[in-house]
Amino acid sequence: MEAVAPAKTPKFVRYLPYWAVFCADLKSTLQSWIYRAWVLLSFGASLGFLLYRFGAKQVGGFVQPAPETMSDILTWITLGSITLVIVLTAGTICSERGTMADSILSRGISRYQYFLGKLHARLAAVLGTFLVIAVLSLAGSFLLLHGESLTFSGSVVALLAVMSILAMVTTFGVSISAICHSTVLSIAIVWMILYTGGFILSLMPADYPSPDRMLQRLPDVLRGFYDLQTVSRLVSGALSMSLLAATTGMVFFSRSDV
Amino acid sequence: MAANAGGLVVETYKLTKIYQNRQIALNDVTLRIEPGCVLGLLGHNGAGKTTLLRLILGLHRPTAGWVKAFDKTMCPNAAQLRCKIGYIPTNPQFPRGMTPISYLDYIARLFGLPAEIRKPRLASLIRAVDLLNVSGDPIDGFSNGMTARLAVATSLINEPELLIWDEPTHGLDPEARRSMLELIKTLAKEKTLIVSSHNLGDIDEVCNHAAVLSRGHLIYFGSLQDLKGRMRRNHYELDLESDQKAIGKAVQAIKGMSEFKLVNLRSRRLELRLADDANSSSSLASVFMALADNKVNVVNIRSVGQQTEAAFLDLVEKEEAKGFARAYQQPESA
Repeated sequence: MEAVAPAKTPKFVRYLPYWAVFCADLKSTLQSWIYRAWVLLSFGASLGFLLYRFGAKQVGGFVQPAPETMSDILTWITLGSITLVIVLTAGTICSERGTMADSILSRGISRYQYFLGKLHARLAAVLGTFLVIAVLSLAGSFLLLHGESLTFSGSVVALLAVMSILAMVTTFGVSISAICHSTVLSIAIVWMILYTGGFILSLMPADYPSPDRMLQRLPDVLRGFYDLQTVSRLVSGALSMSLLAATTGMVFFSRSDV
Repeated sequence: MAANAGGLVVETYKLTKIYQNRQIALNDVTLRIEPGCVLGLLGHNGAGKTTLLRLILGLHRPTAGWVKAFDKTMCPNAAQLRCKIGYIPTNPQFPRGMTPISYLDYIARLFGLPAEIRKPRLASLIRAVDLLNVSGDPIDGFSNGMTARLAVATSLINEPELLIWDEPTHGLDPEARRSMLELIKTLAKEKTLIVSSHNLGDIDEVCNHAAVLSRGHLIYFGSLQDLKGRMRRNHYELDLESDQKAIGKAVQAIKGMSEFKLVNLRSRRLELRLADDANSSSSLASVFMALADNKVNVVNIRSVGQQTEAAFLDLVEKEEAKGFARAYQQPESA
C-alpha cells in the first residue's frame, strides 16, 4: 500500500513579519494617549456641534442645512486633526531607533516589510477612525437635521476627498520619521512641507485641485454637485504624493543605520 | 552541526565603519569565523565591539569592506540570513505591556514562523528558561535576571545556527551569571557563538577563539590558547604555614635569589614575581628547597592574574605603543 505523504508545514511564512509589525503597531497606536485624545476631541466636537445645531433648530427655529453642517464638521475635523495626526505619525519609526529597533530589525524582517507594516498600521488607524467618526456624523446630521439635501454619492465623494488628504498627511509623517533621527525634527519638517505645499497650491489657478478649495466646496459636493474630474485629480494627486513620499522614505530607511 | 558545514559562518573583509565622517568606529577588520567556533570579542569601551556585531547583523551598513554571513553578503534587507542568527543586544528592550508569551510570539512571527511551529517552541523555551510562573505577567516588572533569561529564549526561538550575544552576563548576579555561562557551554556544542564581554574571566571560561579590538582596529584574531600562550606565567602567590620566624628566614633566603625581581611577604602569603629571563621551573624548585630547609609548609600556590586578561592588556599596550608603525602591520592571527 502506498504511504500517504504527511502534509508539509512551511518553515517560513514570507509575509508574517509584515503582519506582525502591522498588528503590533496598530495595537500600540490605538493604546497611545495621542490617538485617544484625537478620537475624544474629534468625536466630542462633532457630537457637540450636531447637538448645538439640532437645539438651535428645535428651540429657535434656526435651520442650517445638513450639507453645510456636515461640511463644517468635516472641515474642522480635518484641520483640527492634522496636528494630532502629524504628532501621531511623525514619531512612528524615529522614536524606535536604537535599542528597540535593534530588537526588531535584528530578526527575520526586511526594512521594506518593517516600513510598510508601520505605514499601513498608521494609515489604518487614522483613516479607519476618521471614517467611523465621519459616517456617524453623517448619520447624525441626516437624522437630526434637514438631511434630504444630502446625497449618498456626494457623501462618498466628500469622504474620499478628505480621506485622501489625511492619507497624504499620514504618509508624509511616517516617511519623514523614517528619514529623521528625532521625533521633534520630524514633526517640524512635516509641518514645513505641509505649509509650503499649501502656500504653493494657493497660488495656483482656481481650477487647480487643492485641499483648501476642496474643503470650501464640500457643501456642494455633499449635495451631489461636484466635478468628478476635479475630485479625481485631487485624489490621484494626493495618492501620487503619498506614493512618492512613501517610496522615498522606504528607500532611505532601507539604506540607513538604525 | 549547522547546514553550513564546510563554509564560513561569518566572514568580513576590510570592514570599516565611519559615522557621519566624524568617528571611525571600525577600521579594516578582516576575520573568518568557522562553524563550531566560540569567539570571544574583547575590547575596551568604544573599541568597536557592538559596531562589529551590528555590521554582522546588517543593522549598520559598512562604509567600506563587506560582511558575509553563511557565504552571502549581509545587508539591511537580508532577512533570510538573519533567520539563521539569534541576537541578544547589550540591554535588551521589550515593548511595553507585553508578556513573555506575547513577546516571544511576536518575535517568532518576525521570523516568519507559522503558528504550528512557533506556539510549541515558545512554550518549551519559556519552560526551559524558567519563566513559566510569570509567563502571563507584563515584562516591565521583570528583574535583570528574568529579562536576561527572556532575551536568551528570544535569541533561540528561531533555532539559529549562529548566536550573537552582546555582553550576556552584563548586570547579572553571580548565580544568574553562572547559569548563563553554563548555557553558553551547552549551546557551544552545536552552534557557532560570538560573545562580546568586558568580563575576561567569562571569555576565558567559555570561548575557544578570541578577537581583540582596540580603537576600532582588530589587533588579534585567533585561538584563545595562543593568546594565553603569549603571556609568561611569572607571577605567583604561595600561602605558607609555619611559625613567623621560620617563614622570615625562608623569605630572606629567597630574596637572595637573583631569579626574582619581587619577593613580598604579607602575613603568611608570599608573592613572587620572576625576572623576565628566569626559568620558572628551576626558580620555583629553589623556592621550595628554601622553604623545606626552614620547615615551612606550602598550603596553596597559584598563578596570579588571569592569563587572558594579562594577554589582552599586553596586546592593547603594545598596540598603543606602535604609533605610526601600526599602519604597516597586519593583525596577528593564529
